[in-house]
Amino acid sequence: MLDKLYNFKQQHDQCGVMLCFSGYLSQELMIGIGEVLRNKLKQEEDSSMVLKIFSVFVEQAQNIMRYSADQIPPNSEEDSALGSGILVIGKNQGHYYISCGNIVDNHKVPHLNSQLIKLQQMDKEELKQYYKEQRKKDTPQDSKGAGLGFIELARKSNSQFEFSFQPIDEHFAFFSFKTIL
Amino acid sequence: MDNLNISATTQTPAIYFDEENQTLNMIGECYPENITKFSLPLFAWLNNYLMVLETQLFTVNIELIYFNSSSSKMLLDLFDCLQSAVVENQKNIVVNWIYDVENESALEYGEEFKEDLNNLNFNLIEKN
Repeated sequence: MLDKLYNFKQQHDQCGVMLCFSGYLSQELMIGIGEVLRNKLKQEEDSSMVLKIFSVFVEQAQNIMRYSADQIPPNSEEDSALGSGILVIGKNQGHYYISCGNIVDNHKVPHLNSQLIKLQQMDKEELKQYYKEQRKKDTPQDSKGAGLGFIELARKSNSQFEFSFQPIDEHFAFFSFKTIL
Repeated sequence: MDNLNISATTQTPAIYFDEENQTLNMIGECYPENITKFSLPLFAWLNNYLMVLETQLFTVNIELIYFNSSSSKMLLDLFDCLQSAVVENQKNIVVNWIYDVENESALEYGEEFKEDLNNLNFNLIEKN
């Protein structure tokens, strides 16, 4: 592993990776990483762009925390669960990319898949209307946020996102999602 | 009635009531892990306040630099609550959505709330 570390870092550099995190993610960790990200971006971008990238980062990170199938259960009611996943933020060919990945239960794949295809096919105005419609509804039962995360991600990127599900075994698949700004 | 005074953190806004001006202020950023838990004291305070509010003007100033999607739902719930107080109980309420001109999405989000709140006096105000 040790001799491969430089190689690993070089691969990241070639892909323009600015930040990469893999493992269990907490809200506190997310805040820390977010601060580093904003400080770095401030040197290169105007405040609107910095906030846009930051907002995509927050939605993706909170998705991992809330919906990763690999979780450390909370110690107490005050605590929250820690979801495991991977987050990568970088710049390639003049565009920023923010990617996240985590394992999901196989039975959740069809719904998520069709939901994301639907979002990909919507134009700006349709996404706005859909966002407003969903926001008026009561929070879905299996949602720990407001169920608006992916719609927000689609809106921020004008539907410029990619996703995939890679089979792991009979229980789980690996979900990857990439936003391009 | 207890006064409302929540200090800001990196991930949550300052929320406080200025009694002299009958103004509720929300200033900062909002992306906590659990927005429902965070906003409980705000809604508890607001429900009490709306019951004792008479004919005087109640102003709500919202100045958020960034908020996540679940906080956007909380904001809509807040505005719905204020709109109901206007429509059903003839309360005198004004909301000022204060945005920085350099922050493109802050104005856009404000406009989207305004579009859905036809019976609430909702102003979009550019920050000086």
